[in-house]
Amino acid sequence: MGEEEVKQEEKEEKAKPKEKFKISFDYFNESRLGIFALIIGILVAIFPGLPAFIKAIGMMIVFVWGADSVRKTARYGLGTGVPSIGVLAMGFGIIGGITGIAVASMSFGTLVVGGVEIAFGVLAGVALLALLGFVSGNLANGDKFINMKIPGLERGMTELGIAGTLVVLIETSIITGTYAITSVLPNVINNGVIAVIFIISAFAMLQPLNTCLGADERRGRTLLMSIEIGGIASIILGLVTALTLSAVQGVPLIVLGAVIWVVFYRAYMKACMKEAYAVKGTGLIKTLGG
Amino acid sequence: MIEALLLVLVCIIIGGLLSSLAVHLMPVGGAPAAMSTATGIATGCVMLMTGAAVTGLFTASTVASFWVTKPNVILVALSGAVGSMLMMGFTMFVGNLIYIFGAGIVPCSGRVAVDPITKDSQTEYKTPRTDGHGVPTASFVSGILGGFSGGFGGALIYVVLVSDSYAHFSVATAGIVAMGIFIANAIIAAYNIGGTIEGFHDPKFKARIRTGLTCSLIVSVLCGVIIVIAMLTGTLAGGVM
Repeated sequence: MGEEEVKQEEKEEKAKPKEKFKISFDYFNESRLGIFALIIGILVAIFPGLPAFIKAIGMMIVFVWGADSVRKTARYGLGTGVPSIGVLAMGFGIIGGITGIAVASMSFGTLVVGGVEIAFGVLAGVALLALLGFVSGNLANGDKFINMKIPGLERGMTELGIAGTLVVLIETSIITGTYAITSVLPNVINNGVIAVIFIISAFAMLQPLNTCLGADERRGRTLLMSIEIGGIASIILGLVTALTLSAVQGVPLIVLGAVIWVVFYRAYMKACMKEAYAVKGTGLIKTLGG
Repeated sequence: MIEALLLVLVCIIIGGLLSSLAVHLMPVGGAPAAMSTATGIATGCVMLMTGAAVTGLFTASTVASFWVTKPNVILVALSGAVGSMLMMGFTMFVGNLIYIFGAGIVPCSGRVAVDPITKDSQTEYKTPRTDGHGVPTASFVSGILGGFSGGFGGALIYVVLVSDSYAHFSVATAGIVAMGIFIANAIIAAYNIGGTIEGFHDPKFKARIRTGLTCSLIVSVLCGVIIVIAMLTGTLAGGVM
């Protein structure tokens, strides 16, 4: 099934030889992207000592995965709009993230091997939320319960639970550089940064499909927007990190975010203009090449 | 310690069930209501309910700060309910002002022939091929009841999490966790409704409320267990603020 899709997409690509700028998600079909993002996300989440901009790249990969999960569940029509499932993912993510951080703060939750901190405890939150996501997916899709009849909703909600939790964990570790609750409480939760984390992450997951959905929606184009919002999230997190940790961690994050934002905004706009039947500028905003 | 854990679990379950009930009571019109071609407020269940619940959490947290230690659970939960009711009331009132004086329609129900509260006939006022307009009396009362139920539920979760007799999380942790549990329940309920609902008089309410509450029970139990695990670690307790 996956390979057929890849072939189909390749044919579509060949039909448009003029396209110069191309970022392809052909290799990363839904399953491969899920496994890749899960591994990268867990690796980034359990090493809170990594530099902030590496964690930001991990965060963007998890964003893409979340957006892909939203895409595969919400394209059948949920009846309540696409935003609901993105907000659900982050509602799950907040519960799982805080539980994971609480477990990682215990004496056995974090190992220190040769000076490198490995926070295995956060995986407890990820695992619990995978379970919660799977159960709610089954409730929403089950014959005896809500019976939404959406193919793959169980898998989608499980993935969203995991992705939401990983995003909260990674963003927390970007801001504080550790999972110690004495540092997380004042720097992330009590000052309200958690609300920013909530909404910017929810947007990175729900906004791509929410803007692109329709008859001619294409996966590659939709996911470009997720990376673009990941860039905006990096800029915001960079500002917060410069205040909480140091400018050494924060400034590279802002630069990375700005570069990714510009590059992927251009890529997205070019993809839109190439794939549109005709583009007519209104003159109000200077459009790229249009 | 065991009593406190059990009480937190029970309060999270009750709060979850009340928030699910609240979503079923909301007059939600969705996109059609924006063109006044369906009864209710022109937004999704989740947006409406999150707005009401967050207002409820604000009033609840303000009232909870009146006590230095051991806030009164019922009083704080009730103040959350009042906040949500006010929010819902203002939203529906201003919505109705715009519908009546801006769009020029008569609020009427599309699902029932006679308003169950005022006993006024509805069918004559309904434009053909629409599903009702505005927020009629029954829907308004239902929305206020929904605000009460949702605000009480959300604030109940908040107060047991913040109270030093029970979970003793910091104010912000308790608030964001209460919101997370509320959102999980509200969205499952919204999927159960599947689009629009007018309130307790809607035939959909009777047909779907049982499924909604069952699902909410299961989700709340799981959320409660996860929060109890977080409490058992002991790292979040005594949240310094």
